[in-house]
Amino acid sequence: MINLAKRDIEHTLSKFIVTAMGVGMLLGIVLIMIGVYRGLIFEAEILLNDINADLWIVQENTMGPFAESSRVYEDMKDIIYVMDGIDKSGAITFQNIQLPHKDKPVRVVAVGYDIYGSINPVNPQRIISGRNMKNDRYEIVVTDKTGFKVDDKIKLGRNSYTVVGVTHNTTSNSGDPLVYLSLKDAQELQFLYSNKEIQNNEARGVKNSESHMVNAIIATVKNGFDINEVAQDIKKWQHKSVYTAQQQKEILTKNVVEKSAKQIGLFTVILVVVSTIIIALIIYTMTLEKIKEISIMKLMGLPNSLIVSMIVKETLLLGIFAFIFGNIFSHLTYDKFPKRIVLEIPDAFMLFGVIIVASILASFIGVKKVISADPAAAIGG
Amino acid sequence: MSKIAIKVQNLVKNFGKGDNLVKVIENASFEIKKGELVALIAPSGAGKTTLLMMIGCVYEPTSGEIWLGEEKVYDNKWTAKDTRRIRREKIGFIFQAHYLIPFLNIIENITLLPQTNGVSEKAAKQKAMELLEYLEIADKAYSMSSQLSGGQNQRVAIARALANNPEIILADEPTAALDAQRSISVIKMLKKIAIEQNVAIITVTHDERILPYFDRIMKIENRSIVFHKLDKEQNEII
Repeated sequence: MINLAKRDIEHTLSKFIVTAMGVGMLLGIVLIMIGVYRGLIFEAEILLNDINADLWIVQENTMGPFAESSRVYEDMKDIIYVMDGIDKSGAITFQNIQLPHKDKPVRVVAVGYDIYGSINPVNPQRIISGRNMKNDRYEIVVTDKTGFKVDDKIKLGRNSYTVVGVTHNTTSNSGDPLVYLSLKDAQELQFLYSNKEIQNNEARGVKNSESHMVNAIIATVKNGFDINEVAQDIKKWQHKSVYTAQQQKEILTKNVVEKSAKQIGLFTVILVVVSTIIIALIIYTMTLEKIKEISIMKLMGLPNSLIVSMIVKETLLLGIFAFIFGNIFSHLTYDKFPKRIVLEIPDAFMLFGVIIVASILASFIGVKKVISADPAAAIGG
Repeated sequence: MSKIAIKVQNLVKNFGKGDNLVKVIENASFEIKKGELVALIAPSGAGKTTLLMMIGCVYEPTSGEIWLGEEKVYDNKWTAKDTRRIRREKIGFIFQAHYLIPFLNIIENITLLPQTNGVSEKAAKQKAMELLEYLEIADKAYSMSSQLSGGQNQRVAIARALANNPEIILADEPTAALDAQRSISVIKMLKKIAIEQNVAIITVTHDERILPYFDRIMKIENRSIVFHKLDKEQNEII
């Protein structure tokens, strides 16, 4: 039996391809939107995975530094360290800073940690040039996205820092590049006021005693100890909020990334609906262009099923070709976006399923036109 | 085996109801034999196409009876659920323009209907090639209709109408788009087909130049069917 859909597409191949490319670009944007969401999750987890701590001890009744402000004393790390079940502990700070750069300041998240401590948040596998910090003053490790290179000098606050290492693929949950400082330097940047400010505070009777604050204490648990029980002990005796690594991930994904995810999800749904409407309109127009031929086929006695299958097949082929072009488009462009785009095969398969369903829905309008086409319209001019 | 291809009895077709009732055909009764080429003439709006569409099982009559060959297809209602099946198996259509499906090549245009009727692709192609040879356009079998002239396309349309071995061909002004020479050529071809393929052909026409080639002339007058003869010397309907 003649495949009418195949013949029709072959007859107007260039038009069909251009149309599929147009719809494909739209689907490519859908894939990129999903990729943006995946990128958000991926970036949110980079630092958590690199730190690889079992417990996050933060200011009581707060959700920790990724969700809200949290301050604890640095020496809490020693108190935690001596508790039952704790293997290692360390203090850590996080702060947004602007690195002065020749073109424009670069917004980064600075991670401060004790470089002589037992927990190091810098994943050595991510260092692409230079080294990790060896001195606890005025050294900095930056991400390649910042544009700085080893031995570059960066003026921060009152001091000048030397870039000693450059990492790749290290970003914060907000997508900003990460830089690493020693805990002392980070505390100074975050908590130490200018001399005039200190003088003013002292005149008011306020001691500038906060420079030994950190944002969180991180700890690992010895083998054989239950992480949740250790967390409960810390909560009970130290009056702190304690989160396991899994809970911290949930805070990041549910509380921090959730709104962005919903926004992206809504955009994605709108784009899929728009794509469906566009496919439906294209198929409707293609059906209208053939309405005389369809009337003739009906007049000659061809069953509706044959004509309807032509329309449905054409719609499905348009959807499939658009999906292929969408994938090509998204893979060609994803690395040009400023934020990380993670394209995953299961997402592409999911979109493929959605497009097949959308194409079938989109074909209804063309099918309806076929069914209502009057065979008598073939007669006369 | 009956020689009658089309038998119509007391056929009535009205449109609308009550004050808006329009009577188009009233008590039309006629027979057309196999091998006959009949012209259907009437002024515009007199009901030519309506009559053609009723015989072609497209428009449902208001009342009456229609036989196509041995099969009574209408007896105050369609006797078959699927009138499209009747069209597919018994009737060939030819239109003013060729209306070939532009995305199919010539042989596919001709084999589409037989294949839908269950004829194998090979057998349908063989029959199509025979028809194309019969109509002297076999060399165009794998061309697209856009590559053929108007006259060649109309011959392909005739081949398509013959592809399902119909008992009847209904032609709606098949020469309207052609010049005089090509019109006569097409109508001679229809005449030849009617005789050689033993097919009844009803042709709606306004073209008086081709009337001498018809066996009979059927005219709709005052909503009734009247058969006329042609004074071939004067080329006038009597």
